Amino acid sequence: MIASLFLLGAGTLPAPASEARLLVAAESADRVYDVAFDGAALSVQQVVDVGYQATEIEGPHGLTVSPDGRHWFVSIAHGKPNGLLYKYDAETHELLGETELGLFPATMQISSDTGLLYCVNFDLHGDMTPSTVSIVDVDGMVEIEQVVTGSMPHGSRLSPDGSRHFSCAMMSDELIELDAVTLEVVRRLELTDGTGRRAGGGHGGESSPSTDGRPQHAAVAKPTWVQPHPTKPLAYVALNGVHQVLEVDLKAWKIKRRFPTGRAPYNLEVTPDGSRLVVTYKGAQAVGVIDLKTGEELARIPTSRPIPHGVVVTADSRFAFVTCEDRGAAPGAVDAIDLESLRRVSSVDVGLQAGGIALFPATERPDAPSQR
Amino acid sequence: MHRPLGLQASLPVRAAVALVVFLLGGALTQPVSAQEAPAEQEGAGARTLVVEPAELVLEIGQAAELTATILDAAGEAVEAPVMFFSRSRRSLTVDREGKVEAIKPGTFEIVVRERRRRAGENQASRVGLGERLSVTIPVTVKLPDLGSLELVADPNAAVWTGTTIQLEAKGTDVNGAARAVSPTWSTNPAAVATIDDLGEVTIHAAGPFEVSAEAEGKRAAMTLTAAANPIARLVVEADNAAPKTGDVVHLRVDAFDAAGEIITDVPVEMTFRARTDDHLGPGASGQIEPIEGTARAWRFVAEQPGRYTFVASSGSAAGRLGAVATARDVAGKFTLVGHGRVDDTHTSDLWVWEGLDGRDYAVTGTWGANGDAHFWDVTDPENIERISTVTIDARTVNDVKVSADGRICVLSREGASDRKNGIVLVDVMDPRNPKILSGFDDSLTGGVHNVFIDGDKVYALSASSRYDSIDISDPGSPQRVGTYKVERPNPSIHDVWVEDGLAYSSNWSDGVHIVDVGNGMAGGSPDNPVKISSYAYPSGWNHAAFPYRQQETGLFYVAAGDEAFPYGLNTEGKPTYPRGWIHFIDFSDLESPRECARYQVPEAGTHNLWIEDDVMYVAYYNAGLRAVDVSGELMGDLYQQGREIAWFLPDDPEGHIANAPMAWGPQPHKGHIFFSDWNSGLWAVKLER
Repeated sequence: MIASLFLLGAGTLPAPASEARLLVAAESADRVYDVAFDGAALSVQQVVDVGYQATEIEGPHGLTVSPDGRHWFVSIAHGKPNGLLYKYDAETHELLGETELGLFPATMQISSDTGLLYCVNFDLHGDMTPSTVSIVDVDGMVEIEQVVTGSMPHGSRLSPDGSRHFSCAMMSDELIELDAVTLEVVRRLELTDGTGRRAGGGHGGESSPSTDGRPQHAAVAKPTWVQPHPTKPLAYVALNGVHQVLEVDLKAWKIKRRFPTGRAPYNLEVTPDGSRLVVTYKGAQAVGVIDLKTGEELARIPTSRPIPHGVVVTADSRFAFVTCEDRGAAPGAVDAIDLESLRRVSSVDVGLQAGGIALFPATERPDAPSQR
Repeated sequence: MHRPLGLQASLPVRAAVALVVFLLGGALTQPVSAQEAPAEQEGAGARTLVVEPAELVLEIGQAAELTATILDAAGEAVEAPVMFFSRSRRSLTVDREGKVEAIKPGTFEIVVRERRRRAGENQASRVGLGERLSVTIPVTVKLPDLGSLELVADPNAAVWTGTTIQLEAKGTDVNGAARAVSPTWSTNPAAVATIDDLGEVTIHAAGPFEVSAEAEGKRAAMTLTAAANPIARLVVEADNAAPKTGDVVHLRVDAFDAAGEIITDVPVEMTFRARTDDHLGPGASGQIEPIEGTARAWRFVAEQPGRYTFVASSGSAAGRLGAVATARDVAGKFTLVGHGRVDDTHTSDLWVWEGLDGRDYAVTGTWGANGDAHFWDVTDPENIERISTVTIDARTVNDVKVSADGRICVLSREGASDRKNGIVLVDVMDPRNPKILSGFDDSLTGGVHNVFIDGDKVYALSASSRYDSIDISDPGSPQRVGTYKVERPNPSIHDVWVEDGLAYSSNWSDGVHIVDVGNGMAGGSPDNPVKISSYAYPSGWNHAAFPYRQQETGLFYVAAGDEAFPYGLNTEGKPTYPRGWIHFIDFSDLESPRECARYQVPEAGTHNLWIEDDVMYVAYYNAGLRAVDVSGELMGDLYQQGREIAWFLPDDPEGHIANAPMAWGPQPHKGHIFFSDWNSGLWAVKLER
């Protein structure tokens, strides 16, 4: 199957259900791994070296695949000082273009509405000042705008119709909505742990906003990921600092439910059928599967290596793929989790600090929540 | 080309589509093309996006409006949402309604793109990204017309027969901004003066003449009067008639008239002839340049041995002086003394010091690995012994430094599992039992690539644009006391070195910055760093800097090293071929630093360096360790001058990459040169001269 994908052009030939092609970024190895899943086992098909300053780790962090599957994109976190976005041919892995973004560009997604790519500039350098979302024309590989959002924005995700962009400001405890067309911030939602503690060190109404009105660190909730529901006006937010996932009502623009999780939830994905939530527990070496109807955690599945990071789910909602960073010289890994049996069925080691993960589209449906 | 789009009739309406071209502000003087720019879809039901006009030609400040219409298969306009964006937003803007405004001259593109209809309920029916209609509109923003032309000459330039003067044509556009021009030059009468295409006037005879320049319909002229050149005799003097290659010879000229009186205000030119002893084939022989600020003074360096004749001329007068340059003959050799192999991973930087017990120790970092720092007993360099290892939460310990008192080691951290990175302080009073004392990561979370210790302050780079000074007087509780930030667009700092209270940071395209962090010459301190000078060079490869005050001449150089990998880095299995060289910058006048020399080994690339006793030790990656004579004033190409003393290739068949020299950093210590190699660990050699 994989050979066929390469021969015929992976972007043009949909994979059958439960077979999958993945990309995984090894952040401390400056490598991207092309990984195949045949329905039972994962295997590394190809390794692509990325970056530009050889003896320095530049940190490929975010990955996304164009909705037509013809190209893939990786954000390079470290630059001089700004990071970069690289565009590759999905079939040959030939580097096709690059453009400069902001400080420590991280996660990203392409809008099916505008065709533009939206990448958060995470600014991990500790500046704790409001950072930005870069908007990129991926045909010309030109950054057409940078929009200021919040402190350490992460979890760049679009509404199913591609018209709204959501990101979390990890160190100002905000969910931020951007109009994907006008490129303007339209709404902000303060994210709390439910006890009244607020970013900036205050309690209750004692938050200490920054001069521009946004709350300062120290953050309390530390939101690290947001994912809109595929069919309902809901979004799910991982609160890494307080071990919760929030369900946000996008119409009312308020927090609707809270789900307790394992330690340090980091990334999450709603299954395309809308029934479950798969969450990486960075501090628990596990993945949680939450029933969105009941809010119950159906299973907590140990990962093969510590520090699970990214997660994607196949279009048929059957399998989840999870990256694990591990520590030091230990390799990173990709785990395949069967969401029916709720068991890990395969793992494969990749390079150091495996983080970003992207799933090639398996159908013509362009809005499959397939990029990490 | 595009595939058929289904369900066109159900497309929701998001934007009204204007169908008329507006010329805004009445300023559009160039007619825009009436041709439409269509984007079509194939097959039955195909639609077309038509944008008018199909191209734009604008003046700066001018605006125009694009209209976009989507036509169905029958050619009927349908209302459908489109968006506009500029691929050069700082030069050309477009708003959401298609209004374009020109900011800067050039050729740019506006993209008009069909938005996807709102969906969500019926995802499967939606077409792929590539099927959307999209049109790219080329926009030319014209250079403003030339408003005026002016001739500029050196106000001190005198016009004498047999000499030249340089003129410049300065253009100003109609908006008052400077404008580059390529004028046509002329003189009249040509018997008095002629001018070349570059504006250099040669005076042939005494008398008045006019110089004129024409460009884009504008003309500027200047009338000058040439006087007869009184110089009858030129005398050339040199401070060294028997230099060695690489020695800088200072030349001066005295000019006399027919009566023997000294003439001071007539220009004199200087050049040289060479007859080299180069038996290997033609090559550059030497280099000469005027000394800025000193009249009739030049400096010259011979890069090849041979006979040189310096020729001064002015009008019909000429003066000559000969000199014979001999080979520098500084060749020595490195002798291998010892090797502490690291073959399980890559090795990064090193530091060597005398421990509290009087023995000698070294620490080396590791790259792309387990966060290890290895400690070595190097008291007997022939028997380098690895005595301990500290492991921190990191993938790369790029830099290692030890305090002058031998008590504290600082490790830089990148790739920490918690992404907090920062630095780690280690008690090395007993290097056989090092103890981690503390970590400091506040605002250093992106990763620390390099550090330096000066007294009780650590200077640590943030991976973005600054270095912080961190007080470690209480090593269990480091505290930030100050920050230096390069105030430039997109600044990036790579390394910092501190000596005599001055910090020398290497900042890629922003070059070398010298900052007072306690020297006092500019009132600086660790908590109040004050920049005193800087120098940048065009390649943007500035990676390391080492200051050197030369005892013999009193000159103050900073050797600025490049790092570049145009052919990538091979982390496993085969060698790497970097590029780059050492730039010597004369900072003797801090207000006017001057790049004066280079050391470049062909087909190789530099990394870290150290200068001691007029010898520069360079870890030259694939070219191994090099020792270079940097005595005396420096000028030109030090490699060609034969200033290289010795080289050593650390080719280890059992290295992490076998037989692949990749020298990282050197440090002289008690008569030996220690250096780390990325592929093979720690080495000790001795320089024999």
